[in-house]
Amino acid sequence: MKNFLLLSLISGLCAVPLAWGSAFAINELGVRAQGMAGAFVSIADDGSAIFYNPAGLAFQKKPSMEMDSLVVVGLFRYFPTESPPGTITPDKGWSGSVKPHFIPVASLYAVKPLTDRLVVGFGGFVPFGLAANFTNFNDGDPQNTKFPGRFAGSRAAVQSYWFQPTVSYKITPNLSLGGGVAFVHTHLFLERSILNPNADGGDFGKVFASAVFPTIDPALAAASIARLLPEGRLRAAATANSPGFNLGLMYRSKSQKSSIGMAWRSAVVNHLTGKAAFAFTDTGAITPFLPASASFSKLFPNQDIRGVFTTPGTYTVGASTHALNTLLSFDFELQDFRRFKDLPINFTKTVGTATPPEQRLAFDFHNSYIYHLGLQKQVKPNLELRLGYVYDVSPVPDKSVGPLFPDANRHSLTMGFTNHRPSGIDLSFFYQAMFFADRVTDVAANAGQFTNGDYSNFAHLGGLAMSFNPSELFGKKK
Amino acid sequence: MNLPGIKSPVLLAGLLAVAFALPALPARKLDTTQFVIVGEGLAAGMADFQLRDVYQAASFPAVMAGVFKTAFPIPTLQSPGIGSGAPGFPVLPPRLPAQLQGTVRNDFPPNLFVFNLSVPGFKLNDSLNRRPSAPLVQSKDIQQSITNFILGYPALIAGTGLPLWTQVEYAVKMNPTLVVVELGYYDVLEPAATNNPAGLPNAATFATQYASILAKVNSTYPQIIVMTIPDPFDTAYFTPVSAASRLVGAPVSTITSLFGIGANDYLTPNGLMTVGSAIAANVARPAPLSQTPNALVTAATATAVKANLASLNAAIIAAAKVVGPNAVVYDLQAFFSAIKQTGLTAGTKTLTADYLGGFYSLDGYYPGQTGQAALANSVLGFLNTTYGKTYTPVSLTTVADSDPALRFTPTAVRPSHRSVVYRNPFTQLPDPGTPVNREELK
Repeated sequence: MKNFLLLSLISGLCAVPLAWGSAFAINELGVRAQGMAGAFVSIADDGSAIFYNPAGLAFQKKPSMEMDSLVVVGLFRYFPTESPPGTITPDKGWSGSVKPHFIPVASLYAVKPLTDRLVVGFGGFVPFGLAANFTNFNDGDPQNTKFPGRFAGSRAAVQSYWFQPTVSYKITPNLSLGGGVAFVHTHLFLERSILNPNADGGDFGKVFASAVFPTIDPALAAASIARLLPEGRLRAAATANSPGFNLGLMYRSKSQKSSIGMAWRSAVVNHLTGKAAFAFTDTGAITPFLPASASFSKLFPNQDIRGVFTTPGTYTVGASTHALNTLLSFDFELQDFRRFKDLPINFTKTVGTATPPEQRLAFDFHNSYIYHLGLQKQVKPNLELRLGYVYDVSPVPDKSVGPLFPDANRHSLTMGFTNHRPSGIDLSFFYQAMFFADRVTDVAANAGQFTNGDYSNFAHLGGLAMSFNPSELFGKKK
Repeated sequence: MNLPGIKSPVLLAGLLAVAFALPALPARKLDTTQFVIVGEGLAAGMADFQLRDVYQAASFPAVMAGVFKTAFPIPTLQSPGIGSGAPGFPVLPPRLPAQLQGTVRNDFPPNLFVFNLSVPGFKLNDSLNRRPSAPLVQSKDIQQSITNFILGYPALIAGTGLPLWTQVEYAVKMNPTLVVVELGYYDVLEPAATNNPAGLPNAATFATQYASILAKVNSTYPQIIVMTIPDPFDTAYFTPVSAASRLVGAPVSTITSLFGIGANDYLTPNGLMTVGSAIAANVARPAPLSQTPNALVTAATATAVKANLASLNAAIIAAAKVVGPNAVVYDLQAFFSAIKQTGLTAGTKTLTADYLGGFYSLDGYYPGQTGQAALANSVLGFLNTTYGKTYTPVSLTTVADSDPALRFTPTAVRPSHRSVVYRNPFTQLPDPGTPVNREELK
């Protein structure tokens, strides 16, 4: 058992970095579950119960080890309503999946019944992730070739790794309770351009107005100075370690044909620490006139940062039943993204520099609501087929739709199967076609950042999982 | 260089702390936030043989910027200014600061940058290649001196290693949203005014240089207003002998026979003074006018200039087309031609394109304040039409009330006898006579 858990832990740590999400949530962390659209909270009959509903573990009679992979191919396209003069929008719009083109995500679950009623498990999974990348350019490239929304953000990455020991107990033969305390390691990376002539550059210009244009009205001078500044880039990376919690409840009918389940996964407040780095182009007429003590590299020094990033809590309820040799399941899921109001970044070198004590990126998300509907049919003794549909109401308000969150309401169709191999290994596969509703934004406050426009997205998701009973498999070999 | 007003790094940091707040502004097709002029004497506000603050502040780009309500730092020079770019008249060596001047430039401490980059006397080659160079005042090169005061100030006095940009480089560095290109006039004006057709620009070279200028200006993708070159012979500097007859009070045949000039030749202001003085003094055998420097421009020169001008303007239009839809052509030649044909009404005043007719200043080819304002109104109207804007024109009546060019306008009225009506330039007298009737003038 000790080796088994150690192996699980190591495998979890080696999971390939991930990034994908509803906003930045990842709900596709079990291949069997996702074949039926993730309507799994009332089923939870494999290792992914550690993610979907820990209470489901208590009904599992055999030890198992499960590895789930997920590959996402996102096709994010953005056609701006308006761009800076000279900007040439590519024929297919700006791509938000510049690199990597394939986003891999891995999960690992291990389950071990200790008694008829008590089951323990361990899971390594990534319920939150993001990999927005509109960085089609190098800093020194001509302005007209750069992504116009870069001042709102050009690249973002979030990975929230949960390492969750879990215990599940069958209170009665039909009712179980499960829960886990997770060690959550979160990594956040953010990249954006700064000194936008249409925005923060003007604030900078107000400061310089009396020095640069002493005979000009400061308000008018500020707007002009903003256009004389170089373009800057902020890159910030930070990590945090925090606790997370997962609880579930499951009730199965005496006939075992129907069940209901509910699960709660806690919000996590990540207190980040990391580094911020600045870089500036060699353009900007004002640069050579600045005194050495006020060069841009000294005004914006690389420095330590702190921040707070909150991932939402998740509440899911669901029911399932067998009918006509088919398992039908429905889940309703709520993620309280309202907690994600903003992302404050606190700088540490603020004396004698231009870096402010805090840069607060406001997002003001709404809660997201997700509806899962799935079915599973046993077509052969060793083959199960699955179908599903998901409707996901985006938590991202119009004002926050941009390169970091090019999100919209989503309709997904899923399909999958599991093949029980004679060797004792179960192989599962799923495919999901994710259709994003076209989203057109027109927020006046975003005009200067050129993030208003038409967001047209689509994503392919696919997964492959392998699960087995390690004692049976390794026992056979012995 | 230390930036005046920012002495404390702590204060600087505090003030700059707002740099990350992101209020956004809407984007517009015609954005006048950064309005830059690349030109020569006409756009600089040259008048009365000098570049000085009185006319610079009234130049058509300055008037437009006032209507736009945008920052538009001008390199204004204290009166009496600097004389350069007035072909056909003697050039005095630069003595700077001159009498009545202190810092020469009005702005002190100076604006770090200026947006009216027009330099009197600039040809295309100057726009592309002439840089400011130390020392600031060059006693043997007035053109370099005025270049230094416009393009190299304060860089030449603020420290070492500061950039000394050419006019076009300067414009690009200003990251403009709107650029007006008013170049080529001096290329044609100088050979025309000095009766030197050999000095006219080579059309092919001109086309290449103009295209190069537009390509460089377009590197930051501003809206570009490209101006055609006015015909110098539409200005007051060139007075046909037929028109000179009325001004000097002698028949055409008398002028041509006495001064040995052709009936289709042109008299310059020097020529008008020479002829008029000789006639007024009843000089029986005056010297041929050709012996007086810069007094006569032949019909042959006029023909050569007009032919050359057609080629140059065709090259300008072609170069603008190459740039793309963000470059539009304003027909400055047509504006000057219209003034020549119909004159200009400013309230109760009527200005003509004749010498001392009110539209042009004393040099004859650069407009006075009212003329510049009229040009600004014309360009604003062009922007309204082209970009769907609603810019309001400035009041010519108001401008004309204080325009120095309108204080001595004997040719703007119908002469009742041989002597012109004298108007004291130092007193505010009522308008002498009735508005001009061009038919009567003819």
